[in-house]
Amino acid sequence: MLFNSTDFLIFLPAVFLVYWFIVNKSLKLQNLFIAIASYVFYGWWDWRFLSLIGISTIVDYSVGRGLAKARTPKIRKLLLLTSIFVNLGFLGFFKYFNFFVDSFVSAFSALGVTLNSPSLSLILPVGISFYTFQTLSYTIDVYRRKLDPTTDIVAFAAYVGFFPQLVAGPIERAINLLPQFQKTRKFNYSESVNGLQQILWGMFKKIVIADRCAEIANLVFSHPSRYTGSALIFGVILFSFQIYGDFSGYSDIAIGTARLFGFNLMKNFAFPYFSRDIAEFWRRWHISLTTWFRDYLYIPLGGSRVGVRKKIRNIFIVFLTSGFWHGASWSFVIWGAIHAIYYLPLQIFDRHRKNIQIVAKARLFPSFLEVINMLGTFTLVAFGWIFFRAENIDHAASFIKHMISRSIFSIPNLPIRELLITLGLLVLFLILEWLGRENEYAIETLFVKQPRIFRWGFYAGLIFLIGMFMQTKETPFIYFQF
Amino acid sequence: MKMKTFLLKCIQFICFTAVCYTAGLIIWERYFPDSFTPNINYKIGSYGHMNSRIKEIPDYPEVDVLILGSSHAYRGFDPRIFAQYGLNVFNLGSSAQTPIQTKVLLRRYLEELNPELVIYEVYPGTFSSDGVESALDILANDDNDILSIQMSFKINNIKVYNTLIYALFNDIFALERDFIEDKIKGSDTYIEGGFVENALAYNKNATDQKPSDWNLKQDQLSAFEDILSTLNENGIEVVLIQAPITSNRYNAYLNNAEIDQYFRGLGHYFNFNEMMNLSDHDHFYDSHHLNQNGVELFNQEVLTTLDVNGLLDFDK
Repeated sequence: MLFNSTDFLIFLPAVFLVYWFIVNKSLKLQNLFIAIASYVFYGWWDWRFLSLIGISTIVDYSVGRGLAKARTPKIRKLLLLTSIFVNLGFLGFFKYFNFFVDSFVSAFSALGVTLNSPSLSLILPVGISFYTFQTLSYTIDVYRRKLDPTTDIVAFAAYVGFFPQLVAGPIERAINLLPQFQKTRKFNYSESVNGLQQILWGMFKKIVIADRCAEIANLVFSHPSRYTGSALIFGVILFSFQIYGDFSGYSDIAIGTARLFGFNLMKNFAFPYFSRDIAEFWRRWHISLTTWFRDYLYIPLGGSRVGVRKKIRNIFIVFLTSGFWHGASWSFVIWGAIHAIYYLPLQIFDRHRKNIQIVAKARLFPSFLEVINMLGTFTLVAFGWIFFRAENIDHAASFIKHMISRSIFSIPNLPIRELLITLGLLVLFLILEWLGRENEYAIETLFVKQPRIFRWGFYAGLIFLIGMFMQTKETPFIYFQF
Repeated sequence: MKMKTFLLKCIQFICFTAVCYTAGLIIWERYFPDSFTPNINYKIGSYGHMNSRIKEIPDYPEVDVLILGSSHAYRGFDPRIFAQYGLNVFNLGSSAQTPIQTKVLLRRYLEELNPELVIYEVYPGTFSSDGVESALDILANDDNDILSIQMSFKINNIKVYNTLIYALFNDIFALERDFIEDKIKGSDTYIEGGFVENALAYNKNATDQKPSDWNLKQDQLSAFEDILSTLNENGIEVVLIQAPITSNRYNAYLNNAEIDQYFRGLGHYFNFNEMMNLSDHDHFYDSHHLNQNGVELFNQEVLTTLDVNGLLDFDK
């Protein structure tokens, strides 16, 4: 089920009312209801893949129980490896099987040996990369004795399948989310209002910003040779906002929805395009994945408390893995490598923690230097997105070749009306994001001190813009494919 | 208590937003150029002369033949040719009319037109369509009622919802009451009885169509079967007809035989793409529509076919 669908518009209030009015007497019942609702939400797309979530849930619950009873380190390690094998096995099979087979065949072909490719027509289960990492965090934390294993399988099933963040995150840690399933939840008025505001902002980002930007971005990425360099530049910029609006919009809807049910999910985006360097960008973009890799990959590898060579190795491993996590294609690996190269100098020269606070904190305008730094960072990030968006490396190379040409200085040959509408909406969006950059999400405190009529008028205005500019067909979220 | 306040505030906000949205939409549509209103499409007197056709219905009580369908219908069945055979015909076709809209129009006008025979032009493309284009045409050019609202929910498209709101506002305040549609628009001339005649022209575009399949949508098929039931319950004979399109376009669809089989199973069905040998250039003005030479040949063939099959043997 898509958040931006009429199905969800009916599903959410129905689940909310049952949750707070019918099953509110018992925690166990509430958790069971969440688990069932989550399975319905996921099964709406394809019920067959519910079995994968079910198996992950049972395996990781059992591994957790086993870890509690295990006496020797060897058994503990074996149990952990079982969890890793099952979860990454599913992920590897569904997401990477064809990639590895094709790469293997191509490698032999380059050596003059022709092999038949046994590619399978596999459907990638939506959100598999997200819930796999989420359940893995549970077994790893239990293994590390950071978390007591749960004895409540219903709460655990609800944690694994929790519908707001099941298919595209935030990738929650068991240590944060699981305990919330184990304590009584009470309806909180201000949290619920806040949740609705965040849902609205997420919808605006997805439906108005991302989907509008996608129109032009899709156009230029589908046939780069037909467009001038300047049009391709616009395409890259608009894709940068498309992916931000799409993914952070999803996260906002997920976090807001969870709030309605009394849960606090971790922040996943913190105004990343206002970052002044790449290190800051990675502290603000897809935070739940970045910190997952930090805690479960980078630090176990030694992190930054090692020599320069190992530090370089660790950074490359993390960024390449992150690229590969996004998709089974070499272009994602290149995207990861580009970011590793961006990041390295900051890490080596110990400049990576220079910009911790949000830019221009407590000021309305940034300094000239801050503007330059933000634009520079955005340019680097946007360049990386070319590889992320391209279908393969050749496509990315062709795009860059056509972009960096003489026609870069010509008038973009794009549908002007579409471009003007999209740019107008982007300007409005950036102003709101800038004004709200010190909050959890942009509109959190906007107009809170004004009379209700202004606040409501503003929200109604956002809904109006959604109605006026949304696509006439439901458009899936980009990160569903990961 | 807090939950009660929350729900109450939600309801208040929904009402507040509904008012603001409607007001904003009306201002937006009336005062902003079309290019800035991508999700409203209120075109009274639009392409296809639907406005003239609807206004003419009261002049046609008790017709012999009622024609339903898409532009293939209102550009393909000429009442003047049928009149030569003594048949009083009304053509209720409209642009891209899908069964969802046909159902609405029938529920509104069947009683008034009270036909002996319905010729239902069943172009598979309309069964594969979401029905948005035709819904917008009907919302803007016909008076709206509960059926318009039901149709909009069925189609579930933001453009249709926005246009419905605007159309209801126009209807309530009778803002377009005095609108009179031009009979001649560009190369189109509206002919009494619902037909639109295009100035004689010849199809030049012979580019090859990409081979593909018709994918009939379930909601359109359900509406179609409801229509057939309604006509059946009213004792009205129905003839399903596929009007000719260019052979270049027709042959690009790979499952025509399957489509024929489906329609044939529902009653009298004639596919004139298979029954006539028309020239893509001489008898069409574009790949979808017959020119007047083609219309004459086609209508003669239809009348002969109906006659041979005893479908014109009714008393009026």
